[in-house]
Amino acid sequence: MSQTDTGVGRVDHRPAPGRAHPGPAAAGPPPYWTSRRRDQLTGYLFIAPQMVGSAVFVILPLILVVWYSLHEWNVLAGTFEFVGTDNYAALAEDTSLPSVLTATGLFSVGLVAFNLGLALLLAVLLNQRLRGTTLFRTLFFSPVVVSLVAWTIVWGFLLQDDGGINGLLDTVGVAGPNWLRGEGTAMVSVIVVQVFKNVGLNMVLFLAALQGVPAELYEAAEVDGASRARQFWRITVPLISPTILLTSIITVVGSLQVFAQIAVLTQGGPGTSTTVLVYYLYQQAFQFHHFGYGATLSIVLFAIVLGLTVLQWQMRKRWVHHES
Amino acid sequence: MTIGKGLRGVAVALTGALALTACGGGDDAASGPATLRMTIWSANEAHLKLFTEIADEYTRNNPDVASITFDPLPFENYTTTLTTQIAGGNAPDLAWVFENSAPDFVSSGALLPLDDALRTTEGYGYDDLSPATLRLWQHDGKLYGYPFSTSPFGVFVNTDLLTQAKQQTPAELIAAGRWTWENALAAAGATKQATGKAGLVIRDFDYKGWDNLSTFWTGWGARAWSEDGRTCGFAAPEMVDAMSTLHRAIFTQQALPGPGTTADFFAGDAAMTVTQISRASLLKEDGFEWDLVPLPAGPKGTYSVIGQGGIGVLKRSPHAEAATDFLAFLTNPTNSAKLAQFFPPPRQSLLTAETLAATNPQLTPEQLQTVVIDGITNGVVKPSHTGQAELSQQVRAGLDPLWRPEADVPGVLGQLCATIQPLLTK
Amino acid sequence: MSRELSPRAKLLLYGALLVLAVPFVFPTWWMVTSSLKPVADIFAFPPQLLPTNPRLEAYQRVFELQPFGRQYLNSLYIALVVTVGTLAVSALAGYAFARIRFRGQNVLFLVVLAGLLVPSEVTIVPLFQMFFAAGLIDTHWPLILVPILGAPSVLATFIMRQFFIALPGELEEAARVDGLGRFATFWRIALPLARPALGAVAIFTFLHSWNLYLEPIVFLSTPERFTLPQALTQFVDAYGGPMWNVQLAAASMTALPVLVVFVIAQKQFVEGLAHTGLKG
Repeated sequence: MSQTDTGVGRVDHRPAPGRAHPGPAAAGPPPYWTSRRRDQLTGYLFIAPQMVGSAVFVILPLILVVWYSLHEWNVLAGTFEFVGTDNYAALAEDTSLPSVLTATGLFSVGLVAFNLGLALLLAVLLNQRLRGTTLFRTLFFSPVVVSLVAWTIVWGFLLQDDGGINGLLDTVGVAGPNWLRGEGTAMVSVIVVQVFKNVGLNMVLFLAALQGVPAELYEAAEVDGASRARQFWRITVPLISPTILLTSIITVVGSLQVFAQIAVLTQGGPGTSTTVLVYYLYQQAFQFHHFGYGATLSIVLFAIVLGLTVLQWQMRKRWVHHES
Repeated sequence: MTIGKGLRGVAVALTGALALTACGGGDDAASGPATLRMTIWSANEAHLKLFTEIADEYTRNNPDVASITFDPLPFENYTTTLTTQIAGGNAPDLAWVFENSAPDFVSSGALLPLDDALRTTEGYGYDDLSPATLRLWQHDGKLYGYPFSTSPFGVFVNTDLLTQAKQQTPAELIAAGRWTWENALAAAGATKQATGKAGLVIRDFDYKGWDNLSTFWTGWGARAWSEDGRTCGFAAPEMVDAMSTLHRAIFTQQALPGPGTTADFFAGDAAMTVTQISRASLLKEDGFEWDLVPLPAGPKGTYSVIGQGGIGVLKRSPHAEAATDFLAFLTNPTNSAKLAQFFPPPRQSLLTAETLAATNPQLTPEQLQTVVIDGITNGVVKPSHTGQAELSQQVRAGLDPLWRPEADVPGVLGQLCATIQPLLTK
Repeated sequence: MSRELSPRAKLLLYGALLVLAVPFVFPTWWMVTSSLKPVADIFAFPPQLLPTNPRLEAYQRVFELQPFGRQYLNSLYIALVVTVGTLAVSALAGYAFARIRFRGQNVLFLVVLAGLLVPSEVTIVPLFQMFFAAGLIDTHWPLILVPILGAPSVLATFIMRQFFIALPGELEEAARVDGLGRFATFWRIALPLARPALGAVAIFTFLHSWNLYLEPIVFLSTPERFTLPQALTQFVDAYGGPMWNVQLAAASMTALPVLVVFVIAQKQFVEGLAHTGLKG
């Protein structure tokens, strides 16, 4: 504390640095700083860093992006001209956009389906009474902690026509495709590389959820003669549905932001088959120097993410088993 | 404890945020000694050392420039990173510019004209610069970039591999007057057959960097687009011819490694590679026997292709004058001679086999004459156009269907022209 | 689902797990072993599972070509500072959103949540300009401030809020009745209970910062200030040809220490993540 804090009234020094209470210490007329008001202020102070941060590093840049999207900005020439909604009109005329949106949709759907499916499968397998599951859990989770760029670079080598994957396939007599050069296989490759990298996260979340399902429920079902598959769909899935919802939101939003993997593995090709929206946005803004149009695409991306999240949040009422 | 630290962090952060919103921009330029920054794409120690030496000499004699830094940006994203810096208001004072983005930089007004400053610099010898090398860097009669590196493409040959495959070496073919693409591809395909190593690699092409294919199709008289840049050339008969030959060479003759196959000539994985002669520095001393020869002749005869790197002064640099002055110093006859060991210079006086031999001990005078000097004087520069990045991306995507065994070459090329024509006339 | 399995089922299960483990383990294995091979052997066909004559030459080259030690330190200290800062910001905010009632709470929470939906590519240009105006380009500040306060910390706040909501409130109420202030309640009662969630947030945050790729590329230009992912893509010869074994050696050095820490502390790691309250 500083020396200006001279202390006549240095009586009450309650350990509450997070809150200001300049009110009178002695009893008197009803104090302005009621406990409710004080609580409110504390609340504001607690969220202040996050709010200021959001304002400066999220909201303000977003507003700027909207502003840019109304301009034609030639970086090299140093010109910045107001063009109204021209950039938005250009969206309709952009012949690449349909294929970009298709690729984005395919990527997201493929990623979410494969990621959640594999995560659930691994979690169920690891949830068995079996020695050594910890070892396997560690193995499945390990790519999560490997640097993303390192992971992608390595897969880039492995997926080459003469790379390790086809070498492995060759030893079992399968001639592998040229993964990153075929339109379909390139998309599959990018999805798979991303899923193996991060599926461990969802797996762990599912595992925790599975362990929270009371064993009595299964016992009761067993008594009723329900098959394992039936138990899975009727007991397991509904009971872990909140986890499924949350992981799916996070995975969907994450899938729309995948950039480094595509930049390292395919650069959006072959053709434009793996040019997803984020990558296209990056190309337009940073490679083609169309910052105004790039900003417009950012708004599109933001709108899609927002729309999907709201949709999923609405859906939770429909199919999530319980909302505590 | 952690929280205490955290809060201090928050305080610092808030101060930072305030500074952000309050501060309009630090325009404290002009006064005091300048610090210059040049973005480059080479992180090579030897290159950096030479540049730093020249810069040190300059700052010693020019007290108004306090220091000069060389800022290596990643080669692959060089232009992108540079543009981002410019967009963010952090433009360097000087920048290397690839030949393929030259039209964008030169015509946009991002760079300052250099000719007056260079001409009036004492002892500079502006007229020594070979006009052929300057063309790409001129706009409306002014020079906006100095082509510090004009590097012709040649063919490096692993003679050990060719001998092992019982093939004639290019030197022998040249002597017999039969150094043509047809024979080169045949030898490459036979080497692949015999040794399992790759035949011929067009370096940095890798089925993405298509502009490197101009080293091939120029032999057929084909061009990516017309001289004025307004008409697509991919669907022209000579291009279809060239690309059909290339397609056959890849998928039938297996003279070139297929898509997604890696072969590094300099690691001994390929018999021949088409690349710029500056890559000679990648040859290892204890490696294989090698040779450097000019590009093979195409149906339209002999030709050469060059790649260029230029240096420009950014108009937005607060120290543009000092930067231009340093550029004049960096490229004066004395320093050009020093730079010539890495970067073939545009100065005619330096373009002699003797001078180049002094600084390129790996190459024989004959190689220097046939590949370097003849190449620089007659070479066609790799294709470039305004809006290069977008165009290049579209061509890359448009050519992708070609790199399949069953591709319909004229069909793919016709489709490609339909796609890029609007960009060419934009 | 944890019932006793028949030996046959166990065998099947082990088989399935082993096969499934291949794509998770093989890349790392290949990365490390290939970094020990000479360049020409990396693409030997069929691939060699073990280097025939391993050599450490590539590892030496990593340090010759770049100030790699310095870059390692940069990544490490940035990730640590970001982790501590994010913990502070998100624990406070998460607690307030979960426990304290104040006007505009829901609206403000939604405003914060918007950060979850903004990919960093969207705001990179304005952020670049803002940091340039503040004179902070080519410093580590953007890599520290934005994650702690901006969009990346929102997930952390969300996790903390979910955790505190799920946490029974009796203890805190008792403490409040005893006259403990809000901050003291938070600091002495709630925070210690939140250790699992804090652990999860710490892991998420550390990895996020450690993996950051686009931002360092945009903000940093001096090799001494580079971070690891950025440095990894810099191992090319003068003309952009990759130096595969050197790159793989650098990648191995980036990945292995974190992997080792993870294997040692995997229990805390995994269980910490499991208890984020993300399970609903």
